[in-house]
Amino acid sequence: MAEPLQEQQASALPNEIDPREFDGAAFQRDPFPLYKRLRDHHPLFHDRFHNRWVLSRYWDIDGAFQDNASYDRAVYKPDGPYRFGSSHVFGPNILEYGNSPQHRWLRNIVAGQFVGNRLQTFLPMVAQICDEVIATFRDAGEVELVSQFSSQVPIRVISNMLGLPRQDEDTFVGWYQALIAGLGFGGEHLARGIQARNEMWDYLDPLIATRAKTPGDDLLSRIVSAELDGARMSADEVKGFVALLLAAGGDTTDKAIANMWFHMMYTRPDQYADVQADPNLWDDVFTEMMRYDPVVHAQFRHTTREVELHGRVVPERAGIILYLGAGNRDERVFKDPDTFDIHRSDLHMGRENRSGRYKDGKPGHLGFGIGQHFCMGYVMARQEAMIACTKLMGAMGTAQPKLDRHPGISSPSIDSGGFRSPQELVLTFNPA
Amino acid sequence: MKVRIDLDQCHRSGECCYNHPELFEMSDDGEPSLKMTDLADAGMRLRAEQAAEVCPAGAILIEA
Repeated sequence: MAEPLQEQQASALPNEIDPREFDGAAFQRDPFPLYKRLRDHHPLFHDRFHNRWVLSRYWDIDGAFQDNASYDRAVYKPDGPYRFGSSHVFGPNILEYGNSPQHRWLRNIVAGQFVGNRLQTFLPMVAQICDEVIATFRDAGEVELVSQFSSQVPIRVISNMLGLPRQDEDTFVGWYQALIAGLGFGGEHLARGIQARNEMWDYLDPLIATRAKTPGDDLLSRIVSAELDGARMSADEVKGFVALLLAAGGDTTDKAIANMWFHMMYTRPDQYADVQADPNLWDDVFTEMMRYDPVVHAQFRHTTREVELHGRVVPERAGIILYLGAGNRDERVFKDPDTFDIHRSDLHMGRENRSGRYKDGKPGHLGFGIGQHFCMGYVMARQEAMIACTKLMGAMGTAQPKLDRHPGISSPSIDSGGFRSPQELVLTFNPA
Repeated sequence: MKVRIDLDQCHRSGECCYNHPELFEMSDDGEPSLKMTDLADAGMRLRAEQAAEVCPAGAILIEA
């Protein structure tokens, strides 16, 4: 009976952390004060309430991302390497394959399509889609950026890369928005999300069958016709793969674009003037956004063996959460980490595709992860966001936020994969 | 000094090709390959070491 009392006393101390804070609305709205307490006072925090460990400092997270022998994305089970499930709303997908050879095989079916020459061939299509979407609202002089622009462009791009028929694109966008809302907000949104998923599954079935017989040059054909040891993926696995590409390739870039505009309109309107003078600076807006308040704040790992950290031992098969959103604000690495600054001199700005982990260079942001599960769309996300923001800025002429005050960037749930972005962002403009 | 790429480990991130085009090249499907494997030149050796150090997949292997 003594223990609860001790805990109560401990949580009254300013630097102690009550794990229930992670579930509170204040944390979802502004996680940064808690991140700082973690970094300064609990660099390895054992969260007994959620049965997990927490890392928050830059180099600890960087180390865990890189150490694939000690940390795995998937869940180990005692009598075999992985536990596969289909509990995910998207069905079975490659992330459940952890660090296994199957994960690498699945990933490399498409990974090469998002870099290099193949990506370059897709870029004119990205610009064309931006023009089409902008044309739907340009004459109005006002845009709700999230619903009318950022959640329209990346999903159309990825469905185009998959080779889905363009005449069905609007239907696809509707399913996608319902799915994403279902993941984020739950409740009635979840029911509509699951319905959208089922309709999308039914839509994909005949397409999968056709592409399996007569594959084309598109991503869906690559996925259905890829073989490992003479076997192809099942239709369910293909659909899980497609869903993951929609979420990873659509939703993240969608929210990245919204976050970039939020920071330009509300956090640093002075630096938006710089970007207007030199649109190439959108690249630095992207990088600083990915540091300051990235779309994804948390990644999970499971230890594959005992790991010693900060003088303590984390046991094998323990859950560990890497708050890359906290590592990005580590004052041990970045000067004035709580200042959004696109001209920052201590962050690797990644104009070229360089990880920033070069010893002679500057540290990069942690927003794409590092190591075996490093974001495979990192080049595409940056280029797509660049094109979309440059096109939109060019079309709007002078733009300003409609509301003087904005409720800010939020996340339905950082810990369960909730992405951080503004729910709405209304801009008014005078088309040039 | 010799360098090789383990394509089973490789993630097609493109980092090596983007940063060290003197040493690596990329196919249209994103697969990297080496322009040379025997590194006599000190500059090339440094490039190989840097690429191996930062490869997100740990797929670049250097043999003395």
